[in-house]
Amino acid sequence: MREELGVRAGARDTPTVLEVKGVRKAFGATQALDDVSFELHRGSIHALLGGNGSGKSTLIKLIAGVEPADAGRLTLRGSGEDLRGMTPARAREAGLHFVHQQRTTFPELTVTENLAIGRGFDTGAGGRIEWRRAQRRAAEVLERFRIDADPRQPLAELGPAKQTMVAIARALQDQADASEGVLLLDEPTASLPAPEVKLLLDALRGYADAGQAIVYVTHRLEEVFAIADRATLLRDGRVVATVEPRSLDHEQLVELMMGRTVEQIERLRGRPEGRTILEARAIGAGPVTNLDLGIRAGEIVGLGGLIGSGRSTVLKALFGAVPLESGEVRVDGELRPVHSPPAAMAAGLAYVPEDRQKDAAFPELSVGENLSLTVVPDYWHRGVLNRRRERRDALGLFDSFLITAASEEAPLRSLSGGNQQKVVLARWLRRAPRILLLDEPTQGVDVGARAEIYELVHRAVAAGAAALVASSDFEELARLCDRVIVLRKGAAVAELTGEGLDADRIARVANAEVKV
Amino acid sequence: MSAPRKSLRQYFEAYAFLGLLIAAAVFFSVWPETGETFTSAANLRTLISSNSVIAIVALAALVPLVCYEFDLSVGAIAGLSSVFVATALAAGTAVPLAIALGIGLGVLVGGINALLITRVGVNAVITTLGVSIILAGVVNQKTSGLSVTGSIPLGFSEFGSSNWLGVPKIAYVLAVLALLVYYLLGHTPYGRYLYAFGSNREAARLVGVRTKLTLGLTFVISGALCGAAGVLQVARAGSADPKVGETFTLPALAAAFLSTAAIKPGRYNVAGTLVAIFFLAVLNNGLNLAGSPEYVSNYVNGAALIVGVGLAVRLGRRQEV
Repeated sequence: MREELGVRAGARDTPTVLEVKGVRKAFGATQALDDVSFELHRGSIHALLGGNGSGKSTLIKLIAGVEPADAGRLTLRGSGEDLRGMTPARAREAGLHFVHQQRTTFPELTVTENLAIGRGFDTGAGGRIEWRRAQRRAAEVLERFRIDADPRQPLAELGPAKQTMVAIARALQDQADASEGVLLLDEPTASLPAPEVKLLLDALRGYADAGQAIVYVTHRLEEVFAIADRATLLRDGRVVATVEPRSLDHEQLVELMMGRTVEQIERLRGRPEGRTILEARAIGAGPVTNLDLGIRAGEIVGLGGLIGSGRSTVLKALFGAVPLESGEVRVDGELRPVHSPPAAMAAGLAYVPEDRQKDAAFPELSVGENLSLTVVPDYWHRGVLNRRRERRDALGLFDSFLITAASEEAPLRSLSGGNQQKVVLARWLRRAPRILLLDEPTQGVDVGARAEIYELVHRAVAAGAAALVASSDFEELARLCDRVIVLRKGAAVAELTGEGLDADRIARVANAEVKV
Repeated sequence: MSAPRKSLRQYFEAYAFLGLLIAAAVFFSVWPETGETFTSAANLRTLISSNSVIAIVALAALVPLVCYEFDLSVGAIAGLSSVFVATALAAGTAVPLAIALGIGLGVLVGGINALLITRVGVNAVITTLGVSIILAGVVNQKTSGLSVTGSIPLGFSEFGSSNWLGVPKIAYVLAVLALLVYYLLGHTPYGRYLYAFGSNREAARLVGVRTKLTLGLTFVISGALCGAAGVLQVARAGSADPKVGETFTLPALAAAFLSTAAIKPGRYNVAGTLVAIFFLAVLNNGLNLAGSPEYVSNYVNGAALIVGVGLAVRLGRRQEV
């Protein structure tokens, strides 16, 4: 990936634009940030890298003035700000531009409207919007930020990477000079599929080469290698090191980030083949037509394909989350109706959805409640809900599913992304399902949690279950799965296994009919 | 990690509102302006019995609210029930039958609400608003706008105005119903599903919660509670005022909302609802006795709702890490 993105301009000797010093922040007894400092140079990309709960998001919030810091100073082009009294308005005045992880653009509105919102429209007599002028301005901005789009196009028609670029352009449009302000990006690629990530990273590199200073928050190592000139590694709220990623290799960076060596999980290829557990014949749903699937005990099968290929729909239809329009599903040889999630659960299926926040998390409920929602009736005995047993089981699950949380009573939203994902996985695995349906099982989690999630999936299938995994991350499919079925426009076009199974081949098969 | 211990701040957040209720009660007891009347047995009993009916309506509003759905028809259903129960009693219907009629009507209207919301897919606010307007029409047609004051059996109205161990009997009914709702919400799988549903509807569906049934039932339960409240209103007043139902809706909803600021902060809950009802009741009663004009209580009630829920939201946000 490094070569693909070209060689970076050196940034070591350019002047310092932003200096952040001695930032501290505690939430109750937890020290979220402890004396964190870093420096950002002109025309460079500085990565803030860390696992879940390392404090990187908190740091951005403090700099943005969304939350008050306990201590810390920020110096931007010579003028200082006390972070204890930072407000979003002051951050904006100082020239700090943020693009947050959550979508802040409006897909139904046009590119012009999206660019004008937050900045204000040019208005004529009577407050009428001067559309022609706005259109012309938008065209200029698109040109300046090298975004190939029509100002009159609804934003939703652009790809996800371009949408993020529009958000960036919106933040930076009023900067007269690229070296004037600072752009801070909080995990901008979190919800982008792989090809889109490259598009965005290329654009960012271009902006930096034009002199823009960029702070880039991420937990994805590949991206750090791809674009960052320097990286500050955070762990447990402390700066572990500030490095030049080019001088390190992957393993060293992981070690620094996690504070331990990550054991590579050996893929158990060529496992003894078990009985067929899940058999789907000629199923159809949404884009998926006439698909056959057979998965054996102990097997992890991947579903690869581009967005719209139907890989998520297959899982949803098997779980009854969307209607199965045709075909039949057998579990352990027996015909089972899967018209609704409860029916699918009764048939032994479990489903971890793609979008955790939208479809799986109960943020205000406690971790314990989140863990037990799939098995509540088990605790219901003679008219009493056995809370004590529920609590004890939750703590047991913390151990067996490697979940780190302050307590069983803490709200789920207080956990890091990786721990939330492990809670969702544990919620299903505790039912000892026959078939585990996983959609993007490691989306938005760091390398450490990712390895742990793989381990949990391996453990489940070793105990006799079968897993069907859909992912846009072809590396992940190649690493986790015994074989991968590649979908194109809702039909299986290839099955890769053994030596033929690698990320490149999945990508090539998946892309075959798509113009590049 | 094992024993869940609460910090001092959490205790404060949970019980501050209850403290305010006690403080208000103590204040009006010792303030010379109100002390004598406020602490009189007659005043306290009226305060408790009249607010017990509203509290039951508030519990009715609470159940759908846990799912983040508003039932605006709670007062109207209670009013409907009271008018029909009073008419039936005046016409000589046996008391148990009349009680069943009141609760049955509540279940019926709640069921209609449930079907419209879950099957037809009409938004709950619109459904229950529409239904409450229609019910006002039904009540008007039935009573021609006049109170139903026929001969209510003596035993029935006596129940509504007499005490047991010095406390109005109606308060015991409230206690039983409150315990039932508390049990339902906190100690049954169904209650757990309601909170899950309120937190994330789609996620609830995807962990196997039967969403339509779950949501629909909340309106049926709400209707049944409102029906019961209507029956008690007749027992308490000895008659049925066709306008009384409407006056229940807003205070009941306000208390249900405010419950998120007490006892279990951030969660709509039974104990918090009761605290809110009686906090507002004591405040209004005290101000009333002090001779303040009626509009003052409007100011107080409205401000209490906004401040209470606003604080709860802020506290909830601060706990996020």
